[in-house]
Amino acid sequence: MQATWLVFRREIGQYLGSPLAYVMGAAFLLLTGITFNNDLTLSIGYKPLAPALIPTLLASILILFAPLLTMRLLAEEQREGTLELLLTAPISDSSIVVGKFLSAWAYFTILLALTLVYQVIAVSISFPDISHMLGSYLGIWLYAGAALAIGTLFSSTTENQILAAFLSLVTLIVLYFGDAISQIVSNTQLADILFNLTLRGHFMASFAIGVLRAEDIVYYAGIIVIAIFIAIQIVSSRRWR
Amino acid sequence: MIEVKNLVKKYGNFTAVDNISFDAHPGEIVGLLGPNGAGKTTTMRILTGYMPVTSGEVKVAGYDVIEDSMEVRQRVGYMPEQVPLYPDMTVEAFVLYWARLRQTEKPKQRTQDVLEQFGLLDRRKKLVRSLSKGLRQRLGLAQALVHSPSVIILDEPTIGIDPKQVVEVREVVRSLRENHTILFSSHILSEVEQICDRVVIINNGKIVAEGTTDILGEQTHSGLALYVHIDGEKAHIEQLLHDLPAVTDIQLHESGFIIRGHDEELRHAVMQVVADHRLELLEMRPVDRRLEDIFIKLVN
Repeated sequence: MQATWLVFRREIGQYLGSPLAYVMGAAFLLLTGITFNNDLTLSIGYKPLAPALIPTLLASILILFAPLLTMRLLAEEQREGTLELLLTAPISDSSIVVGKFLSAWAYFTILLALTLVYQVIAVSISFPDISHMLGSYLGIWLYAGAALAIGTLFSSTTENQILAAFLSLVTLIVLYFGDAISQIVSNTQLADILFNLTLRGHFMASFAIGVLRAEDIVYYAGIIVIAIFIAIQIVSSRRWR
Repeated sequence: MIEVKNLVKKYGNFTAVDNISFDAHPGEIVGLLGPNGAGKTTTMRILTGYMPVTSGEVKVAGYDVIEDSMEVRQRVGYMPEQVPLYPDMTVEAFVLYWARLRQTEKPKQRTQDVLEQFGLLDRRKKLVRSLSKGLRQRLGLAQALVHSPSVIILDEPTIGIDPKQVVEVREVVRSLRENHTILFSSHILSEVEQICDRVVIINNGKIVAEGTTDILGEQTHSGLALYVHIDGEKAHIEQLLHDLPAVTDIQLHESGFIIRGHDEELRHAVMQVVADHRLELLEMRPVDRRLEDIFIKLVN
C-alpha cells in the first residue's frame, strides 16, 4: 500500500508538473465548453438542457484522450531504465502498475471535476434532472477508468510511447464501435450481444439516459481489473526474459 | 556478503552465465572484470533480484535472491550501467523517492546525508535533466546508497564520464569499503587493480581467473611490455630488437614497436642497442597491460 501511494504520488506530480498536462486540460475544457455553450443556446428556444451532455461527449473523446494520458506510464520507465530500479526495489510489481493507473485516473477525475462548473451554471439558470446528471458523471468516471486501464496495459507492453498510444487507440476504437459489424449480419440477437460487449453499450444505453444498472458497473470494473491484472503480469514477465 | 554457487543463466538457447561461483565479504571490494557481453550485467541483475536464475544458488546478505527477494532488495544498493533517472524530478525529490520506496528510516535525513556525501546538496533543487554526466553518476550512487544497504552493486560506474570524475567515483567507491560489500564491474583492468581487493575475470559467461589483484598480476604479467620508437629504417631496427635475448615478442605499433620481455632487463637491452648502434631513441614507455592481452594469455 505504502509503495502504491508513493508511486501514485510521484506520477500525479508528473501529471500536474508537466506543461503538457495543462495544455491537455485546456483543450479538454475548451471542447466541453464549446459543446455546453451550443446546448445552452439551443435550450433558450427549443429544448431543455441535456443533463448528460458533457459525459456523453467525453465517452467518445476518451478514445483519443485515454491513450494520450496513459502512454507514458510504463513505457517511459522502460525506456529510461528506471523500471529496473523499481523492479529491484523492495516493492511488489502490482504496486507499481496500480499506483500508475490510479494516478492517471485521479488526473482524469480532476479534469472531470472541472467540467462540473457547467453543471453549476446549468443548475443556476434552469432545472436539469440532477440525479440523471450525477449518474452520467458516475458512468463516465467508471468508463474512463476502463479506458485508462486499457491504456496502462498497452503502456506496459512496449518502451515506445507512440506505439503504446496507437495500440490502445485501436483497441478502444474496436471496443467502442465493435458492434458496428452486427449491421452486416442482420441478426438482432447477435447485435444485442455485441452491443453489450462494447464500451458505449454500457454507457449510451444506461448512464447517458439516466439509468443506473449494476451490470454496467460490473462491466467497467471488470475491464479495469482484467487490464490491470494483465499489465502486472507483463511487468513481472520482464524479469523472466 | 555475496555468495554465488554454480550460477547458470540461459536466455533461450544462449547461455549468458555458465556455472560461475564466487563470493564477496563485508569490507571487500570485488571487481567483476570482463569484456562487453561477458555476462557481468546479467550476473549483477540476478544478484539484485531483477532476474531469476536458471540454476544455481545465489545468496546476498544472507538471503536467497529468489526465496527472500524482498529481503535482498532491501539490503542491496544497485546502480545499473546506464544510470536510470527521472529527468523531470528535482535532485532531492529523486533521492527521497527511492529512500521512501525502500522504506528507509528517517528518509529526509538520509537524503540530506547522501546528497551531502556526494556533493549534491547545493544542487538539490535543480532538475535532474540539468545535471552533467558526472553529476548524474553521483546521483545514481546517492540513489543506490540512500537506504544504507549492506551490499552495493555498481555496473560499470566509470563508463562515459571524464577522467576527473572517474577519479572521484573511484574515491567514493573506495571510501565505502569499510561498512559494505561491494561488487564493481568494469572492463578496464587498471581501474580494477586500483580499487578492488579481489578480481573475478569472466569471459563468455565463464570465470577464467579469480584472485587478489597481486596474484592475477603475477599470473598475467609475464614480463614487461614497452613501446619503443627508434629513428631509422624499420626493418633494420626490427632486426636489431628481435636479436636481443631479452625480447620475447615484437610487434609493429604506430610508428614504433611493442616489445615484450623480462622485467628491467628489457630497458637496459634497448638502451644498449641504441648506444651500440648510435641510434636515436625517440620514445620509450611502458604499455598498459590491456584486458584483451590478459584474456589472450588466460585463454591460451
